[in-house]
Amino acid sequence: MSRPTPRDELAEATPHGGLYLRRLVRSQLALSLLALVAFGGLVGSLPLALALLPGLQRVQLLGLPLPLLALLVPPFPLFLALGWLYERRAAALEEAFRELVEPRGDAGG
Amino acid sequence: MIALAAILAVTGATVGLGLYGVRVVRTTSDLFVASRAVTPWWNAAAISGEYLSAASFLGIAGLQMKLGVGALWLPLGFTAGYLALLLFVAAPLRRFGAYTIADFAEARLRSPRLRVLAATIVLAIAGFYLVPQLKGAGLTLGEVTGAPYWVGVVAVGAIVAVTVASGGMRGITYVQAFQYWLKTFAIALPACLLLLHLGGLPERAALFGAELPRAPAAGLAVELSDPAPVTFPEATAYEVDGVGARARAGEERVLPAGRVELPPGAAVPVAEGTEALRGDAWSRPVSGEGSFSPLLVYSLLLATFLGTMGLPHILVRFYTNPDGPAARRTTVRVLGLLALFYAFPAVYGLLGRALVPELYLTGETDSVVLRLPEAAWPGLGGELLGALVAAGAFAAFMSTASGLLVSVAGTLAHDLAPPAASGTVRRQRFRLAALAGILAPMALALFARELDISLLVGWAFALAASTFCPLLLLGIWWERLTARGAAVGLVCGAVSATGAILAGLAVEDAPAGTEALLTQPAMVSVPLAFAAMVLVSLHDRDGRGAPDAELLALHAPEGLGLDALARPRP
Repeated sequence: MSRPTPRDELAEATPHGGLYLRRLVRSQLALSLLALVAFGGLVGSLPLALALLPGLQRVQLLGLPLPLLALLVPPFPLFLALGWLYERRAAALEEAFRELVEPRGDAGG
Repeated sequence: MIALAAILAVTGATVGLGLYGVRVVRTTSDLFVASRAVTPWWNAAAISGEYLSAASFLGIAGLQMKLGVGALWLPLGFTAGYLALLLFVAAPLRRFGAYTIADFAEARLRSPRLRVLAATIVLAIAGFYLVPQLKGAGLTLGEVTGAPYWVGVVAVGAIVAVTVASGGMRGITYVQAFQYWLKTFAIALPACLLLLHLGGLPERAALFGAELPRAPAAGLAVELSDPAPVTFPEATAYEVDGVGARARAGEERVLPAGRVELPPGAAVPVAEGTEALRGDAWSRPVSGEGSFSPLLVYSLLLATFLGTMGLPHILVRFYTNPDGPAARRTTVRVLGLLALFYAFPAVYGLLGRALVPELYLTGETDSVVLRLPEAAWPGLGGELLGALVAAGAFAAFMSTASGLLVSVAGTLAHDLAPPAASGTVRRQRFRLAALAGILAPMALALFARELDISLLVGWAFALAASTFCPLLLLGIWWERLTARGAAVGLVCGAVSATGAILAGLAVEDAPAGTEALLTQPAMVSVPLAFAAMVLVSLHDRDGRGAPDAELLALHAPEGLGLDALARPRP
């Protein structure tokens, strides 16, 4: 009788299997929270920064006041970049889990 | 007339494509197989198409013109909401296989009663959100044809109800995707051409300087069909039907129905409920007090950031992704598509303040997107662009309204009705529910004429953020959530959010400080709902934590054969 694989542990819902699974959930959650903190730090500080620095209103760029531009332009590429980075990292975490459960070369077993 | 033709063409194309989709897709399982073949790009366009509603197409620019550029926090929040969805909800929810939030609540927490509670909240959110779509339709049709307000409300309500009831909104991924591109084209092309035609922004002093919006060099004439209460920001001589009159600075008057004429350079009086703002105050995204105090801005961002994931018609669409990773890829593309669309409403707000200041007098700032092309470019050019914008606006009402009505009908017929064995009975119920479900929002839209489109939508977001957001986040990521905890949290969030909104409506002059919380309750109601769910769950003696099968269903990657071990899918 060989040792149970992680796959068996998951299938039979053993305490070990639960551990594997919870580790995956925790790593995914940590990644999401990291992205949230990055987002909150960059976009979340914008209203406060604009409120604390009313002088920025007099600075004009391309004929528009700087606060208006700050609201219109940089947040959107930032969302996209954050989303893209997150999507790739989350897929990599899942790939690692897949490796654990079904090591390559052993896929048929 | 060109505009009416454009609107009819868009309506015809939508109904036609929808009905064609039904003929291609016959059974429910056909629908799901077809849906699983939907690529992330198509799906992202469909999700964006359903999401970009009257509030985005007309409301943002209208609110920006009325209150100031702080309204542009709205598109920021609307887009950021998809980031929250991507980070915490998209992939697990798709894997879990729940089709509606009510399904998710029942399956995850094993409580049929929770299903009924969730379904009730779905109805409230969809109702709040349907009203402004119908309002936008009434406004637009009136703008284009001069028809009374109720004609557009009833016409679009009826068209949407009949298409949804006939099953026409089932294979609609491609219709919605088409409407996304139509809407983006319809808002982008006129904005770019108008800026080119005008050679930049006119009236810069009224936009960014110390000036009020003023009557242009030729004077300003406005036809009032009803008496209008207004405030004059400056001492002004004006004429009504040729009879001269004078108003002192700051004076409130009721202008009689008729032709109101202002001399060149006169400051434009503002309708009741609007404040006359000088350019520098108007162009400040955050102000010390008033509509865009930091507290209000944060509450608004919180509501939109967390509320998007609780919108019933959006969540349904995520089920059409093939698997969890595809759901994530779709959401990233949605972020890009929304960013593209939201680059443009601001242009209408800026140009509208400079070129159609009479909307401040009539209080119809919500129609600035529709009025602007012809005002800025008299002649055929403006007329064609105006027709394009009107058609895009109609695409916005119809796509969002049908998505919402599908949710309402599905909730009434599937989540709330007792189970029925036969498919025929279920389909009949769905049709009846679609026809019945439009009636209450239609009645509300007829009475809620003065409420800003964006305000109504803001309430829908506040309610979604205070109820389904905690349910989804804790349900997916916290094993110890119990049915009792979820139920108490849902009730707390719903009651505090709706209570604040109703109080805000009832109280005319709220004491300073409370006004912020009454119009944007998310800042209080969201933490309250989270706290209630966590505390009650922790003290729930029935709480055992989620079994591994639930975690597998939510989080295990596909293709490992583990899904079969998880909970059976509906």
